[in-house]
Amino acid sequence: MKFIRRALLALSVAGAIAAALRVKGKGGVPPQQGGWRDIASPK
Amino acid sequence: MIVVAGTGLVGTHAADQLRRRGHEVRSVSHNTVNEVDPVLTEVVLLAHAGDHVRTARRFLEAGCHVVSVSDDTKDVLALLDLHGEALAAGRTLIVGAACSPGLSGLLVSYLGAKFESFDEVHIAVHGTGGPECARQHHDVLSGTALGWHEDDWLRRPAGSGRELCWFPEPIGSRDCYRGDLADPLLVKHAFPHVARISARTSATRRDRLTARLPMLTPPRAGGDMGALRIEVRGVREGQRAVEVAGTAHPMAQIAGSVAASAAHELRRQAHFGTPIAPGVLALGDASLPNNDILDDIMQTGIRIQAFYGVH
Repeated sequence: MKFIRRALLALSVAGAIAAALRVKGKGGVPPQQGGWRDIASPK
Repeated sequence: MIVVAGTGLVGTHAADQLRRRGHEVRSVSHNTVNEVDPVLTEVVLLAHAGDHVRTARRFLEAGCHVVSVSDDTKDVLALLDLHGEALAAGRTLIVGAACSPGLSGLLVSYLGAKFESFDEVHIAVHGTGGPECARQHHDVLSGTALGWHEDDWLRRPAGSGRELCWFPEPIGSRDCYRGDLADPLLVKHAFPHVARISARTSATRRDRLTARLPMLTPPRAGGDMGALRIEVRGVREGQRAVEVAGTAHPMAQIAGSVAASAAHELRRQAHFGTPIAPGVLALGDASLPNNDILDDIMQTGIRIQAFYGVH
């Protein structure tokens, strides 16, 4: 029982840390259209 | 003769590139670089782990041009402080000639030419070169990240400021975070007028959680696939505009090619009797032949791509 409680506590702490790390930050918006193309030599 | 100090992935690739261009190259390790006779050396390319400042000073004072691939913030600051020594010796020291910094400055110069004026530079980098570069990447997520924001240095905790950045394929989208990166210092050095500079590095949640611990898994000896994304914002035809360029190749290949091209150009210009201005320079600086260096890098097989479309 004690082991299960400790395991659950460890999992919830890890989950909370992961959630905080995941949520913090503004993320991003995928490019709406377009893509990457090779550029010509700058010379 | 060009001396390449460093026998890791970046140093080996740079030495190979220089030999292909017909230069006489001597590769030495970090431990034996001080045994090199500076009299016979025109250019020294420092591509070894650890600080470069002492070796750079020694070779500058002995009359050699120096190219450093260092991307450690403290080492880069110390190298920038060698400007007086470089001027007194009449020699050039190119600082941060790798991918980020290095290619980043060249791409800012390339993209900046598409504007009437530009005032924002945002850099994102993914991947690591050799094992030493991986250790450096591990450390950059645990310090203080520098950014330039409206006439002042902005200091934020490294590992903060998540942003999803799109790199050229096959890397694609990656979460990127502020890091203790040297790019803002060198972009500001090369483009003093820019009002906002940020630099981010890609990282996983595990990277961020373990940043303050010793590396849990040993870095891969063969290095990683790398990518660079440069976003420049400015004014064109009276309106705000954005230009994005980048590349995706093995990181050691990018860094080695940039370092080799910088060393090649230093030696080539000296031989043509049009030596590059003495002093400490960052790639992208107006006194460097940036388009020649970028063209030379592209000749080595590095594909530079621009993003076309709606961001």
